[in-house]
Amino acid sequence: MLWIFVSGCAVFMPPPVEKSPEVMIAPSVKKPVSPEKQGNPREIASLQLTDQGRIFLEQGKADEAITALERALNLYPTNGRNYYYLSEAWLLKNDVLQAKEWNRLAELYLSDDKDWLKKVLDQKTRIRKLFR
Amino acid sequence: MVITAVSLVIVSVGLALYMWYLATIIDKRFSARRWSMPSRVYSDSMLLYPGQTVNLTLFYETLHHLEYRDVSRKPELKGEIYRKESVLDMYLHDFTTPSKKREGFPVRIVFLDNRIASIERLDTHQDVPILEIEPEEIMLFFGRERERRRLVSIRQVPVYLTYAVLAAEDSRFYLHHGVDPRGILRALYTNIRHGEVRQGGSTLTQQLAKNYFLTPERTLRRKFKEFLIAISMELMYEKNEIFEIYLNEIYFGQKGSIAIHGIGEASYFYFGKPVQRLSLAEAATIAGLIKGPNQYSPYINPERCKLRRNAVLQEIYKKEWITKEERDVTIRSPVKPAGYTAYGKKAPYFIDYLAGQLPIFYSPEDLASLGLSIYTTLDTQVQKAAERALERGLARLEKANPALRRSEPEKKLQGAIIVMQPKTGYILAMAGGRDYSISQFNRITQARRQPGSAFKPFVYLTGLSDYTPSSLLSNEPKTYEVDGKEWQPQNTNPVVENGLRFRTALAKSDNLATVDLAMKVGLKRIVNTALTFRFSTPMAPQPSLALGAFEVIPLELARAYCTFAADGVQPNPLSMKAVVDEKGKILEQRHLKIESLISPGKAYIMNSLLRSVVTDGTARSLAWRGITFPVAGKTGTTNNYRDAWFVGYTPDILALVWVGFDNTDSVCAEGSVAALPIWAELMKTLPQYTSGSWFRKPPGVVTRVVCSQSGKCAVTNRCPEPMKEIFLEKNVPTEYCPLHR
Repeated sequence: MLWIFVSGCAVFMPPPVEKSPEVMIAPSVKKPVSPEKQGNPREIASLQLTDQGRIFLEQGKADEAITALERALNLYPTNGRNYYYLSEAWLLKNDVLQAKEWNRLAELYLSDDKDWLKKVLDQKTRIRKLFR
Repeated sequence: MVITAVSLVIVSVGLALYMWYLATIIDKRFSARRWSMPSRVYSDSMLLYPGQTVNLTLFYETLHHLEYRDVSRKPELKGEIYRKESVLDMYLHDFTTPSKKREGFPVRIVFLDNRIASIERLDTHQDVPILEIEPEEIMLFFGRERERRRLVSIRQVPVYLTYAVLAAEDSRFYLHHGVDPRGILRALYTNIRHGEVRQGGSTLTQQLAKNYFLTPERTLRRKFKEFLIAISMELMYEKNEIFEIYLNEIYFGQKGSIAIHGIGEASYFYFGKPVQRLSLAEAATIAGLIKGPNQYSPYINPERCKLRRNAVLQEIYKKEWITKEERDVTIRSPVKPAGYTAYGKKAPYFIDYLAGQLPIFYSPEDLASLGLSIYTTLDTQVQKAAERALERGLARLEKANPALRRSEPEKKLQGAIIVMQPKTGYILAMAGGRDYSISQFNRITQARRQPGSAFKPFVYLTGLSDYTPSSLLSNEPKTYEVDGKEWQPQNTNPVVENGLRFRTALAKSDNLATVDLAMKVGLKRIVNTALTFRFSTPMAPQPSLALGAFEVIPLELARAYCTFAADGVQPNPLSMKAVVDEKGKILEQRHLKIESLISPGKAYIMNSLLRSVVTDGTARSLAWRGITFPVAGKTGTTNNYRDAWFVGYTPDILALVWVGFDNTDSVCAEGSVAALPIWAELMKTLPQYTSGSWFRKPPGVVTRVVCSQSGKCAVTNRCPEPMKEIFLEKNVPTEYCPLHR
């Protein structure tokens, strides 16, 4: 028990760090572009999320993709690509019933876009095969 | 002599065995979970993008709730914001959600009026197309101890704080081995000299031993145990490890009924910042609290707190850990606590609903201890707007009509609001009553109230199979038999026209025409429609069904309307998105699941019909209440004005408002007077959710020109008032107008 009463190690205490003084800087501002000139802002923002969703899908991350795509959908419900990718994500999760529902909506919203419609119809065929 | 030696050996062996026993207890306790961490519930994150219209008041309120602090210079540290005219510079916090981790960075947001003109990263000068702001903590699931704690690592603790805690509590911590005889003697001397207990001789390790393993009783036996446990702990753990446990364990006062534990939480509670950013003065204040957290609290006694802080500073100086100049400057500085809002549930009705949705395998004990993060769909800005709109709206009604006033709080006029995103079923806000502290009954999820005319859209939807929006319906008074008694529906406001078009009858909420339609379509078919739309409450195929004379759960009514706004697909109301454990592992993730109930064509026609309610019908007052964007909706009023409803929606957002008394007293007003103004006020405060867009016409819906009087195909140059109407392609009128041939 004697060692209890013996004092030993030295204390290492780093020196206090000096704070840099606060500097007042007036913000320099870029001239803003009127939002109207930039197109539909919700659509543009939604497309960013759609793209995030697509990247997640390419990485095989279905849940993350669905989360991003659901938000994209809330922002801009008429963006048909969201429905297409949501269908893909549910296919990745092996939920064919949900994939079918989203594919149906994708067809509804992408009926005017030839290239995308082709993709949607291909997807539909894939889903049908899975149903069999 | 031999006996003494034997006795000594026995005592030593006994002591050694006892210490070994204590070591196993310590090991067991420390290798398992050290602290109960309450699970935290988070709102959804906030998205910002150029062109977005923002309610700046709610936006800045949210930033402050997220612990962003205004500074009067360019933000240099995470969590700082600097506002100047239309420019907001902010240094974002780091944040983690189930799908991403993001390091904070500085951004500049430029506003043009209430719109975001641009978002730019200040470090890279790149434009940011979409910016996600971290979710807000809306609730903690506490255990019985009601402890709140943020764990910090010893590496995060700034040197000032280490100095301050050691100077205040145990300056020889790194020199002794759990028990400090020099400290004990010094305390003894001080106490004898002053004739009272002025100083304790306990080391940090002893304090920890006492807090963790012993009761607060003051006996020699307990003191001896404390002594042995402290020594055992020092043998088993590194000094820094013990210091870290101490800093995370120690009690730092009360935030209402919640106990603040650990330096991490204390740093936020007293100074609104993480420990890393505490100044010398703040560190000394916090260290000074350990002696008596409530006695020296800057919130309770600022003067005493300052004296204690200065005493700690003096101790630090005496140890030569700070200079005289540092001490003098700091002693002169005031104690400036950050201020706090007493802990209260935000969105309490939503939280109750969420708790009911959590998987059954999370027991209340687990929620109170496992430190889970629960991510939800709640938008705190929408929630605040809903609560305020409801309170203001109900107060307005009471002011306008003294008959609605009640002296007893629990009998007061009530109301409820749910706001959803119709495409995904995300619940953005839920106000289940006027004041949760008075009534926890959730009128959105638990109430069963008659929907009145708010149910009529489902009658007209059923009718769309046989009729068209231009079909003529009879509004002649008729008598029906209900339960062997005669029943004659009546209109609240008399309708002068004889015969109404399908669209007009719904827009004007004509009771006679609606019952006539229901009888022709068949009441059983209407019941089937209701079942398809998942109304769970019982309903009988009686004529009064058409007028909503049965009970519904408001949440189910809102969900049913979502179907119209979502191309005929019904989303499940979603409140919880994910549950994540302490290490960031996703334990549970919920997604929107959809099911098609009606064709997109029928949904589109319903949207158009309900748009007429707003443009030409019972909800047309929305226009002069400042709602300039396209809205579909329906008012509802029940017998004797017991319930007042308005359900309104756009492609982006849906809100249901109910007003009534719990005891079914009359609210003396129709839905358009009692509920609709609340809806209008709510929507006006949420510009970020109202894009002004309308539904896209799906294939299978066509437009034709019809005679407004007959509802049949218009004869060119003969029908005096031809008009455009939309039809399901398979249900287009083929007959020409018989009136103007």
